[in-house]
Amino acid sequence: MFFHIVLERNMQLHPRHFGRDLRPKLVSKLMKDVEGTCSGRHGFIVAITGVENVGNGLIRDGTGFVTFPVKYQCVVFRPFKGEILEAVVTMVNKMGFFAEAGPVQIFVSNHLIPDDMEFQSGDMPNYTTSDGSVKIQKESEVRLKIIGTRVDATEIFCIGTIKDDFLGVISDPTS
Amino acid sequence: MSIEPFNRLVKLTARAFYDDFTTKGDNQSKSGRADNRGIAVVVLDALTRRQWVREENLAKDLKLHTKQLRRTLRFFEEEKLVTRDHRKETAKGAKIYSAAVAATADGHQTGREGEEKVKLHTHSYCCLDYAQIYDVVRYRMHRMKKKIKDELDDRNTIQEYICPNCKRRYTALDALRLVSPEDEYFHCENCNGELVAEGDKLAAEEMGDGDDNARRRRREKLRDMLQMFEEKLKPLMDQLNRVKDLTVPEFGTLQAWEVRANAAARSANGDANSNDPSKSSQAYNGTPMPFLGETKVEVAFSGVEDKGSNIKSENTSTPMKVLPPWMIRQGMVLTNEQRGEVKQESNIEGTSTAADLSEDKKSVDQKDDKNLQDEYFKAYYAALLQRQQEQEESIKVEQESFNTTEGSSRQVGMKAKREDYDNDERDENVEWEEARTTGNTSSTFKVDLNVEADASGDDEDDIDWEEG
Repeated sequence: MFFHIVLERNMQLHPRHFGRDLRPKLVSKLMKDVEGTCSGRHGFIVAITGVENVGNGLIRDGTGFVTFPVKYQCVVFRPFKGEILEAVVTMVNKMGFFAEAGPVQIFVSNHLIPDDMEFQSGDMPNYTTSDGSVKIQKESEVRLKIIGTRVDATEIFCIGTIKDDFLGVISDPTS
Repeated sequence: MSIEPFNRLVKLTARAFYDDFTTKGDNQSKSGRADNRGIAVVVLDALTRRQWVREENLAKDLKLHTKQLRRTLRFFEEEKLVTRDHRKETAKGAKIYSAAVAATADGHQTGREGEEKVKLHTHSYCCLDYAQIYDVVRYRMHRMKKKIKDELDDRNTIQEYICPNCKRRYTALDALRLVSPEDEYFHCENCNGELVAEGDKLAAEEMGDGDDNARRRRREKLRDMLQMFEEKLKPLMDQLNRVKDLTVPEFGTLQAWEVRANAAARSANGDANSNDPSKSSQAYNGTPMPFLGETKVEVAFSGVEDKGSNIKSENTSTPMKVLPPWMIRQGMVLTNEQRGEVKQESNIEGTSTAADLSEDKKSVDQKDDKNLQDEYFKAYYAALLQRQQEQEESIKVEQESFNTTEGSSRQVGMKAKREDYDNDERDENVEWEEARTTGNTSSTFKVDLNVEADASGDDEDDIDWEEG
């Protein structure tokens, strides 16, 4: 699920940036530092949409670096248990398959794949129904449901299922 | 508040879930003697017949060792079936509890008034927590059913993997770390062995590898299990449904329960008997109370005596103050406690009616200090009143004599009256002296304002007389 929230961060800025372009430098550094990171609490920070407020800088003793408390708006993505996501399959093996929904990695184990789909090894490992009408392989798009998340401080990993109504392949790269 | 359905629920629960509970650790081999399975059922059954019960007493009643019982109860406390309370208490505290037990008129409790010679021991009490039991049992059933059902249709279960070499276990959540670039299996982080998917926990036995046959067999087994679950636990389910809309019997905390039980007993007896131990509320002041039952505020209009005593027993924590004797007037509605003593009251009645001082004096001798003073004032006021009347009369007489006769006769009259006063005063002095027990006979006039004012009146009389 996506959220638009306000976060705060203390930015350290090197003295060489002090001058006319201090603020743009600060913002670009903030984007570079923050976008794409993941915190267990808020999820993945997808994009910064604006800087609300830059507080008073504090000069660090000894180094000359200045710390600015910066408040910024950003879009975060946080997967939840029970959420339905669309994802792209990245790897298929005997144990199941991995898929990605944006920054999140999702694993679907083989017992959460419908019983009528069989693993086919070979050059392009895949799960196929007995009549061959549905095939899950690399680059397939699947709709899945998250049944478990593991949230670490800097990483979120999910496991999903496609063994439920309206879940499964939504587009096949071959067709 | 019917307790019977709940008791049935507890009994069913005990038999369904706790009949193979043992207090011994699993590692100990069960010899025939040490096998105490079923003890949990017995304890729970016993508790359904009691409310709050001291654990030693329960142990005695069940002929169990205290330690064993305690272990069982601790288990039930963890299982959230039983609430326990521990407190340090003296003989008095024990007495309160005994009184409460006696009040509930529980047939299984034998009188144990003199049983404990308590210094300051920690006593543990336990009681079934019916509301919580209901919730716990319902939750337990729900979880059991959900587990079986989930496994039956493979829903929402997180696959587990196990390393056959080092027995290390992983879940599907670790999958990202386990994939290896070489082949399509998961590999153990520890020994790089190939991981195998672990079958579901409930149906794990006789699991071959994940071929179709095994899968079907597993499903069958789960379905059987679910059916068995429904079948065997149907009575319990029914009982849960029956109990659902009933009000849960609630005993409250130990203190609240004791207070209520005692209050109920007292109202049943109709009157507060004075040696009820809960009335001496020091025991409560000693222990911090988490909260006082429900506070009932009742506005009692004076004149309804037994209502007053009710309120006192409910509010419990502070005893009503004994009114100082000078505040007590005739016509006030007071309890005996407020008057200080029962004996005193009768005396007050007696003295307030009897205005005779000499008689008063005799009775004064036998009384204690406070009574004396109180009584003294009563008598004093009576005497004062009497004398004022006399005075008025005498003034009238005087005036008459002024009008009709010469001074000499008046002088005589005054003198007689004066003697009268002297007598009065002397009486009072004597009394005062006794009352104060300080032995200052002469200075009494200065001590008491009333007396002094009175004396000055006398002085005026004297002056009058001298002038005359």
